[in-house]
Parts: sequence; structure tokens; C-alpha cells
Amino acid sequence: MPDKSVFDLLRSDEPLVVIEAPAGCGKTYQGAEFAHDIAPTLGKGRVLILTHTNAACDVFAQRTRGISSNAVEIRTIDALICQIASTYHKVLDLPPDPTVWAYTQNGFAELATRVSAFLQKNPIVPTALARRYPIIVCDEHQDASPEHHQIVMAIHEQGAKLRVFGDRMQSIYESNAKAAVNHRERWEALVASAAHDELDFPHRWANDAGGCSELGDWVLKARQTLLAKEKIDLTTGLPAAVKVIIAANTTQARGGYHVNWLQRKPLDDHLNGHDELFVLASSNDLVRSMRSFWNRRIPIWEGHTRGALHELLSDIQSIDGDAVRAGEALTKFMSTIAKGFSASTHGDTLKAEIKCGCAKPRRGSPGNIQSLAKMLLADPTHVGISNAISVIAQFIEDSAAGFADVKVDYKREFWEAQKLAQYEDASRGYAEITMRRSVLRPKPFLKTLSTVHKAKGLECSNTMIMECDRNSFGDTIYGRCKLYVALSRAKSSLAIIFPETNPSPLFKLP
Amino acid sequence: MTSTILKLTISNFRGVQDLEWYPSASMNFILGGGDTGKTTVLEAIDLLFSPSTSFSVSETDYWMRDTTNSFTIEGVVRLGDDVDINAQPNMVYPWHWDGNRAVIPDTNEDNEGNDEVYRFRFAANEQQETLWEIVQPDESTVRFSVGLRRQIGLVSLPSDERNDKDLRLVFGSALDRHIGDPSLRSRIGTQVASIDLQGELSEEAKVALTALDAKFAEKALPSGVSIGLTSSKGISIGSFVGLLAQKEPNTPLPISSWGAGTRRLASLEIGAANATAPSFVTVDEIERGLEPYRLRQLLTGLSRQGGQKFVTTHSPIALAASPEAQLWYMDSSGRLGALPSDFVKKQQKNDPETFLARVAVIAEGITEVGFLNHLLTLALDCPPQDYGIRVCNGQGNDHTEKLLTALDQAGLKFAGLADNEGVRAGSWAALKEKLGDLLLQWEEGCTEEAVISAIPDHQISSLIGEEGEDKTSVRLQHLKVRSGAEERTLASICAALEGTGKSMKQLVIEAASGNKDGAPEDDKKAWQKHASSWFKSEAGGAELAQKVIALGGWDDLSERLLPLINSILNSVELKPIENIPDAR
Repeated sequence: MPDKSVFDLLRSDEPLVVIEAPAGCGKTYQGAEFAHDIAPTLGKGRVLILTHTNAACDVFAQRTRGISSNAVEIRTIDALICQIASTYHKVLDLPPDPTVWAYTQNGFAELATRVSAFLQKNPIVPTALARRYPIIVCDEHQDASPEHHQIVMAIHEQGAKLRVFGDRMQSIYESNAKAAVNHRERWEALVASAAHDELDFPHRWANDAGGCSELGDWVLKARQTLLAKEKIDLTTGLPAAVKVIIAANTTQARGGYHVNWLQRKPLDDHLNGHDELFVLASSNDLVRSMRSFWNRRIPIWEGHTRGALHELLSDIQSIDGDAVRAGEALTKFMSTIAKGFSASTHGDTLKAEIKCGCAKPRRGSPGNIQSLAKMLLADPTHVGISNAISVIAQFIEDSAAGFADVKVDYKREFWEAQKLAQYEDASRGYAEITMRRSVLRPKPFLKTLSTVHKAKGLECSNTMIMECDRNSFGDTIYGRCKLYVALSRAKSSLAIIFPETNPSPLFKLP
Repeated sequence: MTSTILKLTISNFRGVQDLEWYPSASMNFILGGGDTGKTTVLEAIDLLFSPSTSFSVSETDYWMRDTTNSFTIEGVVRLGDDVDINAQPNMVYPWHWDGNRAVIPDTNEDNEGNDEVYRFRFAANEQQETLWEIVQPDESTVRFSVGLRRQIGLVSLPSDERNDKDLRLVFGSALDRHIGDPSLRSRIGTQVASIDLQGELSEEAKVALTALDAKFAEKALPSGVSIGLTSSKGISIGSFVGLLAQKEPNTPLPISSWGAGTRRLASLEIGAANATAPSFVTVDEIERGLEPYRLRQLLTGLSRQGGQKFVTTHSPIALAASPEAQLWYMDSSGRLGALPSDFVKKQQKNDPETFLARVAVIAEGITEVGFLNHLLTLALDCPPQDYGIRVCNGQGNDHTEKLLTALDQAGLKFAGLADNEGVRAGSWAALKEKLGDLLLQWEEGCTEEAVISAIPDHQISSLIGEEGEDKTSVRLQHLKVRSGAEERTLASICAALEGTGKSMKQLVIEAASGNKDGAPEDDKKAWQKHASSWFKSEAGGAELAQKVIALGGWDDLSERLLPLINSILNSVELKPIENIPDAR
């Protein structure tokens, strides 16, 4: 029984153990139990659990409750990298606080590259780390970049035993086909170099865990099918928990979504039939379209990253006192996070007002936009932009002229952009906001729209995978992995929504 | 493997304003005259690795008692295998030792052989607060916990007579570490607290206490008073518990009441017997309280024990018993220089006191020692050693030159008196350049030649000696042999010299310096030995000095000898003299 063999392998003397861990098969349980058992045997050494997300840190922290924090340390691999980078910042050509630097420069990858090179050249540092952490548990290791992996291996080479958990089928950060192939090859090489085993009991779907065990078996089988480059057969043997709905997307625009009223009813019924539901789509555009499709009833889960805000920050850094550029940055940000605010609706007017220095008095919609222009002219910095966004928020709330139709899709991001004005330095402010977010650990609503990426690592009772067409889930490693992540979120029920034309090639359709 | 201090830096601590020191990994002897700061170096190590939880700083711990300047003691340490530095609550990151200091490992080079070290620091600030810290590679600090200090391990034997801490059960003492029973103190406390002291009171005492209780109640103070054990800050029950030994059968006596030497030996033995040997042992004035045989015993024990040892001493016996020790000399300016062992070893063996003086004069041979000692005694009106001046035998011209050069390279200033044998002229010139008046090298050859040349010709017979003295007849015999005279009389020798072009003075110089030119093959050795019957002994050197003054040769020599004498006096802060008192 693999659970037992995995249990034994983890506790063996093998220096390097890789456990292939499909979603919901109890890897966190295995990892945490292992930490419980091994920590007391390490003397003054500690178990280090390295995750990729703060959310995963929380889960491990709950599961390892009762072990002294002197015996188990749980942190993200980026946090470990930042600590090393901070300690040796002088030779790494970094500021004393590389965390802020990394947040603002999007520099975590660069940080990992420098730290990895540093550790290769200075074995005393990984040696010291290996002494502190004789056992390192790597969670979701398929998400590790090559540099992350090198850093962990540098410590391993100095004597730390590695216990690696990962699922090659949940690797969804390499969309480029070549990169995805390389990534898969690296994983296979790692497995080949290690003592290896695979978890194969779908604990998440066990009946006593409130799940549907037939669904669990089916998802695990689907994983095998996807891994074997075959098609998932939707024609026979579907458990009751899996529902297939046909709905043709009648919008031509890429990322748009519309279904005629005949085919729409089953979708509405399914949506209304559950109190707890993840509606998943493969891209941000599709998710925003879904929000319109259901008349903005369902909120979007924004996850832990803020793409538009980050873009706004880099735009702010190149404004250089130019109010026109400030206006462009504002327009770009607003159009990314809200519906009904674009260059044609607001941005062009805003730009014209800035260019003419708000020379003529305006009223109504142009007047409101002019007030934004005045703010940017007076203060073409992040403070002016952030304050203008606050004014926009007020306009929306008051349904002011020209803003009644502006609908914010990404509310957290919109709100966070308004906070930027509180900080003297935009970069520090952004870093601070980001760090606060990671401390607060936001959680999704019970019923929510989400991209597959942002749903990774989460579980829910029911999911509805929208628009399974060729664009969303193509026959590539990336497409197969993304589909598997989407399929493996739900514990109780799953609905797969297809168009009749151009469906995903990963299914054998009825 | 125990831990090793690679570099010690002291700044503004007591009498040491600035010191950078790279001690040897095993036995270090710190030598030098009194009050130069040797003990302070030991105390700095004691403090940095103190097993006590706290240290109360006083203003005398600050350089010049100036508390506005914080003082720091920092050690770059290569840690022993069993020190859990990386298991501290905060991750402590390593530095790289580049042979000179702790640096951040360079990313641009391959550091396959990089050398893991850590920086430990003790600092006391302007508010007299104390901090034990570990300095991280980004210069931030984390706590250098007492637990870690104890793990590294220090045994300290200060010269302070009263200090027998290691024989008592106080926190972190050698005895405490050895017994390894951390809860013993609290168990003793509990037992002592359970003694019914109230019941032990005499009747009168009970009455007095009852009266006090009544008074308390009257004044609305807490009442129901009795006596019992109360705790006191600063004094732990453990300090009343110490090691006992059988003085006579059934008479256990605290070891702390034995003699000073026994106490120190016992403390050290406990330290050495611990499961984890201490990394550092500091012993101030190691000879204190010990007879020579026990001193040798202690040193042998110390050198067998692992770890890094720091010892101060004024004892020639100690030096002679520790040939493997690295010697350090602290000169009067507070510089701590390595005595280069190759050259110093021979010197240390022959004259251990060389490095125990405040200033040492390396004289090339025994004649020069007697000669200069006599002059210095006249100049000071007392033996020069009373002022910490030591005239040492440099064991020949070659060794003297090497020794002085090596000492100079170590940054130490010694004085010297040497012959001119016409060899290594470059080295001697370089030395003269550096030492100035502290070095006198005769221009005309050896001391005998230079000094005898200065004596007027008509006084040469007095130099040879009074008639009837034993040595006079021996010396005349030498002159007879050398001149081929018929009789052992001055007249006969003079007659033999006639026509050879050689003066009596020259003949005397040849005999006094053991010149063997012109000797028959079989007599060469005998001729060479002639010198020892003249002035080649300490007494002979003194005789030469005494006679050159008495016979009127001093004025010629004083020009060269007075600058040497005065610069020696100057280095021990004595006033220069204008001339030797007897010379006029």
C-alpha cells in the first residue's frame, strides 16, 4: 500500500526522496506527520519545510501544531532566499533589504539566481544551513524554478536530507511549449536520481472527509490519462458527480463569453444549484467575461498577486513628472481592473485635458474627468495617481456623470491602488501593501470566479470549468497540466462546459 | 576539535587602547615587563567567553576611565565541531577567513577551500550596559547567548588569590560544568528551605520575636512573623557549595582553603576533566603559588590538554618547560609582537629571562654581558635588573644578528652590543638604521680589541694584572708562548717582541681574543682557549670595563658607549646620564 511505503521511504536513510503527489492524495498530511516523527530525533537540528506560498505555510503550520518552533521551521523558499540575500547583500550587489527590492523590481527570480550562484561558490554557507536543517521538506516542488532547485540541492549536497513532494501534472507556470518540455525533463531527471514513490489514494474525496470517492477515483484516473497523452473519455463510465454541459460561446472576441438563452439555462441552473462553487476559466479575460455574463453577481477571486497594480508601479517609475504619462498609466490601470473605463470612454478625454492644462471649464462627465486631470497636473506622481483613483472610487459610488457604467472587477486591487498615496516612496508602499496582504492571507468567497492559476492549491466542494475549448486547454504539456489542476479542485461535484465547435482535444466527447 | 581564536581585537578596554592580535592555535605565552597590559589581554578573552550571565562594568574597565567611549572586545573564531552555532534561535551565518580577517565570501572567485569562521563581540556602551553579540555578515547582530559561550568553554585561572569560582557550584564554573546537574542548586535550595529554623530558636529569641510580632500588628504591618530562609539577589546557594577533599581521614576540607597552587591545579584539572574540553584556558602568572616541580607538572598537563591556551608568566622555569609554546612579547608601548620561534628558541633556552625584562639588551657574548652589566651598574648605582634591564648573552655574532633582525620584524625594540666580524655587513647596517643608538657594533673587531686599544700603552702591564696573582701568571704564560719568549716575565716577552714590529698591546689583544694566527698546528686549539683566561667570562667582561676606566681608556670609548647606555635607560623611562660616575 503506497501510503505505507511512502511513510517508510520518508523515514528511511535515503538522502534524497521524491514523492510524486497527485492533488488531494495527502501529501501535506504525510509531510506533516513525517515532521512530527522526525523532529524529536534531530537533537538541536530542525526540520525545514519549504513551500512556495504563504497559504501553504499556514496549512503546514496548522498540521504541525504542537511541535516546538525550535524543531520545525516553515517558510517559503523565497523567504529563505531573501534571508540569505540580506545577510550577504554586500557581495550580492543588493540593498540591505532585498525583500523590498524584490517586491518592487519583480526581482525574486533575480534574487534566486544570485543566491544560487553565491551558494555554489561558497560551500560554507550551505554547510551551515545543512547543520541547522538536517532535514528539508520541499512542498509543491514542481513549482520550483531551476534556481530554487539548485539552492535546495546546494544544501542537500552539504548533508541535508531532502524529502521532495511534487506533482509533475500540477506544473502550470511554464506556458511556453519548449520551456514546459524542459521543465518536465528536469523533473524526470530528479526522480531518476532519487528514491521515488507515488501517493495514489485520493484522501480528499474520502466520504468521511465530505467528498465523493467516485469523483476522487475518476480524477486520479484522469490524471493518468492526461499524463499518458491520451484523451479523457467523457462518453462512458462517468460518475454521477461529473456533469457535462454543452454551451456554445457566441462571442467572436477573444476572451469574450456569451451563450444564447437556450443553452444558458443549464449553466444558470448549475450556478444557482450550489452554495459553494468555484467557476474556473483558463484566462483572466474569460473570468472577467464570466463576471459580465452573470451580471456581476459573482465576485472574482483575486488570489495573492496583483498584476495590474504591479504594472502601474513600473509605469509610475517612468513618469518622470510628466502628467500625460501619469494619465496614461491611470487609464491603463483602470481599464485592466474595471469595465467601462477605457481610452475611448475616459482616457482620451483625460489626456486632452492634461495637454491643454484644463484651460476651459467643463461640467458633467468631462468636468469629472477634468478634475482627475487637475489632480495629475498638480501632482504627477504615485500620490496624484493614487488619489485620483480614490476620487474615481467616489465617482463610482455616487454614480457621478460618466462613471455610472464603470464596474470594478478587481476590487482588492482597486482598493490597494488607493492606499499607495499613503507612502512617500511608491516602491516601499507597494512592498508594504504586498507584505500586508501576505500576512492577512485573504480567502476566496464561497461562490467565486477564478482563473485556474489562482485556484491552484485551493479546494472547494463544487467546480464548474467553463469554456473547455482548444484555446483554453490545448494538447500540450501546459494544457494538460492546467486541465488537471482544474479537474482536481472539487471534492463533491464537477461540471465541464464545452462548446460544440473547437472543443478541447483532451476529451473524448459524447 | 575545540574552538580557536584566530584574531582578537580589543579597543578601549582598560589599559589597552587598540590591539589586534593573531594568537597561535595552541599554547601562547605572553611575556613582557610589568604593567604593559598582559593581564588585560587575558581578561578580555575571559570576558568575551564568560560563562556568567552578566558582567557589571565599572568605569575602570574603560580606557583612561573615559566612559564616553564604548569599549569592545571582538574575536574571530573557528568553531569546534560540537558547537551548535547554527542551532541558535536565529540562523547565524558564517564569514570566510582570508588569513587576516573575517570577510564576506566573494562570489567572483571559487572558494572551494573557504574557511568558516564567526565573529563574536563583547561591547560595553556609554551607559555601561553590556552586550554579547554575534556579528552577522551584514553587520547586524544576534545575541551571543550564555549557553553558546558555555558550549565553547573557557577555564580561567586569574592571579587574583581570592578567586576560586571554579571550585564552587556557581553557574558556569568548571565544577558546575563537570557535575552537569543543573537542577542540583534548586534541590539544595528546597532542602535548606525546609529546615525548621523557627524551631531552632532559643527561648529568649522566641520571646523577642513574639514582641516584634506584637509591634508589627500595632503598626498595621504584616504580622505572624517568623524566621526562615529568604532568597537574596546576587548570592546563589551554589556559591556556598564547593568541592571538599580529605585532609586527614574523616576530615573533609574545602579545596578552596588549600594553598594557592593546589587550588589552581585543582581548578584546571576539573576544567580538563570535563566531557567537552574547554576551548580556551587563560592562566595569569602561571607560576603563582607553585614550586618549580609543580609548575613543570602543570605546564606539561596544560600542553597535553587540547584547546587554545593563553598564559602570562615571569618565570624562566615556565619558559624553559614549554619549548613548544608560541612566545609573545608585550613591549612598553602595549604592542604585542610574536617572538619568532626559530631564533628565539635558542635564546629562550639559554637565557629565559631575555623576554621577561622590560628591556633586553642582546649582547653578543659573555664578555659583552659582563662588560655592559658593569657599566650599567655604575651608571645606575645598582644592578640594572632592578630597573627591568636585562643584558643577555646573544650566543655569538651570527645568532645575535638573526635574533635582533627577527625581533625587529616582529615590531619589537631590543638593544644590542656586537662585534664586527666583517660578515653580514648589509644586515647589520639595516639593523643599525632601525635601532639607532640602541645598537652598538664595534668598528674595529671584537670588544677586547676595541676596549684594549683605548687603554694607553704604558698601562698595558696593569691590564695584564698584578704580579703574584694566579691569572697574571697564566696570562704571562700565554704571552710567552705567543711571543716565543724565554721566560714568563714582561721583560723577556718585550725582548722577544723586539724587531717583530708587534707591540705588547697587540700581543695582549691577540691573546685576549684567542687569536690563533701563527700557532703551531697542534696548539691552535690551546691558543684559541687563551681568551677565557683573559676577559671571556662574565667576570672578565666586568674586569675589562673596570680596568678601561681605571687605566684611562674610557674617554676614547665613551663617545660610542654613552649613546647605547642612554638609549637603554630611555626605554625604561630613566633620565640619561652625562658620564659614568667613576670615570672622572
